[in-house]
Amino acid sequence: MVNNQDALGDIRIVDFTWVLAGPYAARILADSGAEVIKIQSRVTMGAESPNNEGYFITWNRNKRGITLNLSKPEGRDIARRLIQVSDAVVENFTPRVMRNWGLDYSTLSRTRPGLIMLSMSGMGQTGVQQNYSAFGPTIQALSGITQLTTFPHHPPLGIGYSYADHIAGLAGALSLLAALEYRHRTGRGQHIDLSELEAMSGLMGIELLNLAVNHKIATPVGNHPLYHQAAPYGIYRCKGEDKWCAIAIFTEEEWEVLCHVMGNPRWTAEARFADLRSRVNNRDKLDELVEEWTTQHEALEVMERLQKYGIAAGVVQDASDLAHDPQLGARDFFTQMGHPARGSVTVDGSPMKFSRTPIRFHHSAPLLGQDNNYVYGKLLGMSQEEIKRYTEMGIFY
Amino acid sequence: MYSALQPVGKDAALSGLRVLDITGEMGMFCTRLLTDLGAEVLKIEKPGGDDAREIGPFVHDVPNPEMSLYFWFLNTGKKSLTLNIESNAGQEILHRLLETTDVLVETFLPGYMDSLSLGYASLSKHYPRLIMTSITPFGQTGPRRGYKSCNLVASALGGQMYVCGDSDTPPLKPYGEQSCFTASLFGAVGTLIALHYRHLSGRGQHIDISLQECVASTLEHVNVLYMYEGIISQRQGTLHWNGEFRLFPCKDGYILLSLFREWDTLVEWLDSEGMAADLKEIRWLNVQLRLQEIDHIIEVVERWTKRHTAAELVEQAQLMHLPWAEVASMEKLAGNPQLKERGFFVEVEHPELSSCFTYAGAPFKLSHTPWRISRRAPLIGEHNEEIYCGELGFSPHELAALRTKGVI
Repeated sequence: MVNNQDALGDIRIVDFTWVLAGPYAARILADSGAEVIKIQSRVTMGAESPNNEGYFITWNRNKRGITLNLSKPEGRDIARRLIQVSDAVVENFTPRVMRNWGLDYSTLSRTRPGLIMLSMSGMGQTGVQQNYSAFGPTIQALSGITQLTTFPHHPPLGIGYSYADHIAGLAGALSLLAALEYRHRTGRGQHIDLSELEAMSGLMGIELLNLAVNHKIATPVGNHPLYHQAAPYGIYRCKGEDKWCAIAIFTEEEWEVLCHVMGNPRWTAEARFADLRSRVNNRDKLDELVEEWTTQHEALEVMERLQKYGIAAGVVQDASDLAHDPQLGARDFFTQMGHPARGSVTVDGSPMKFSRTPIRFHHSAPLLGQDNNYVYGKLLGMSQEEIKRYTEMGIFY
Repeated sequence: MYSALQPVGKDAALSGLRVLDITGEMGMFCTRLLTDLGAEVLKIEKPGGDDAREIGPFVHDVPNPEMSLYFWFLNTGKKSLTLNIESNAGQEILHRLLETTDVLVETFLPGYMDSLSLGYASLSKHYPRLIMTSITPFGQTGPRRGYKSCNLVASALGGQMYVCGDSDTPPLKPYGEQSCFTASLFGAVGTLIALHYRHLSGRGQHIDISLQECVASTLEHVNVLYMYEGIISQRQGTLHWNGEFRLFPCKDGYILLSLFREWDTLVEWLDSEGMAADLKEIRWLNVQLRLQEIDHIIEVVERWTKRHTAAELVEQAQLMHLPWAEVASMEKLAGNPQLKERGFFVEVEHPELSSCFTYAGAPFKLSHTPWRISRRAPLIGEHNEEIYCGELGFSPHELAALRTKGVI
């Protein structure tokens, strides 16, 4: 049945993913109403955090959950039956895993024509390094973003969290939606081989092109502008402990406005800051002087005073600032959901607001095996005895 | 129009989909993604060329609107039309284009499109099947909807900068225009979700995307730790938020090590070279202790890594399924053997320069409808004649007149 509030209400996805990249891809689709059935097993849970922990709840909301032991042949047969009544499969094991289970695309698509399968892995399904062990930080290191994310002449710092997993998740959702579009037109399914390294390296495209065309090797820029000419530009210390405000001045008009807001201190009239080129050349001294002004004010005040005149400025926000941000609040970016074990939980919403098919938070992340009866009973038509038997056999485990 | 299958690129995922692209920096990558999947993207540039053409780096570092590598990368495969959408004649032409358009992507501040009667409310009356994707700094609603932003400001307000950098450095912006890339990915995803719904309902819709929210949505642990444990994540240098990974110096650069995965393997390895110091002691099997005394562990491990090259360590580690990697430069990335073997890098012809250049390739491989770059980024107004004369029926004379009047 198509629920006309849900954009993807007619799509069912079997979700074999774990940790972040795969669950994030499936969460994006689940948020828009796809029925995502997450397969878990006590046997193989390994590094995934327990179902009642914040990390799991966050990345698996809106999904259903079943237990299925894929290390047993009966478990794999039941997985195939479930795939028979589904539109798509998402998985992010190292490539050998699904092959060893006989759950690879060429096998599955023989009995389920039109199947779309998204295989996400660190290095892709082919190539000498296909079975490399890789998590978000590994991919970030290989893609070059770790080396480049630091201050000039400073050792690499990198991004301290798995940003690449989000990028791979987004790319995964995009590729699956594109394949659905093609299936809509032609009836044909397909296999998607997503390498997280490739999804992430694509974001280094300008730097790769500069290398290919100009033989220029990108170097770290810290918070200085990367492609634009702009000064002052960066973050400036404000009143209080570890408080900062970003300010970006691109044009002469914006510079004049900044001078005005700062109260036109005498130094702003100096020749070395007279035009953009001189300001760029004297960036360090300029930043110091601007900071003399910002340190006298709260970061929020600096932002508000500059934004009033149309200057791009923004507080460097920590997690608590985000939770209390009036703009995010007005748009319900954080939202409450009921959770069977935790009561009420706060989750991040979605940065996509659809006018006709708003994202709904219909259920929280599943407890382990929460939807066994629905999936095995209702979708696959098993009797209660059968379900009981498979449970006792350690198949639904 | 979408229903009319077109012969060109008919085996692409989005063949026959027409996209009007009036995007700036925040959304150019969104329409690029749709182009690579086979959509026909008409990029609307202001007469004289888009502002983004002034952004470097440039070929041989010589500023030239046709030679911006920034513009090249973000606009491959698109068609370029020049059009002044603020003029009456320009708006008339835009409406004629909208009749055959499935998706409109724009990045103006909220209210601007309304001021030209091109807001979603009025467009949806004329074109009920139209999908309009708006990528803006803070979204279409809320007290700060009119605020200005850029990649840096989005990174700051979205919560990214605060957790990047070291405890004794200022907050740090991740390299590249990451907030624009992320927002563009959400833009493309949202567009295809709406397209799917259009098949079910026959109706288009408006998608409102906030750059700030796109950053705040892609912070892995930051919101989770705060919402569930009240922890405000801090900057901690190269140590991954959960302590599992860290960078170490080696003979020829830096490598990323997993510190706690397969602890025994790591200690045995150090010990085999006589470098394990006290880490063999049984008390270190306690993960909590290792986290508490992490500085000591780092010191011991660092003594060892400094005696090796990154390649030596990574090769051996991967044999043991440890997720280690060399901290690669752009040069290393361009030479990555796995990427090369999988054909990641693609050559794109630039006939005007009689050259081919190597571009980053597909973010994913679709088995039946491969991603592709169909051609280099367009020259300014390169497709004016094809679309305005060939499709809308303007004569060359009329086209010249429009040019004189500054409409195109």
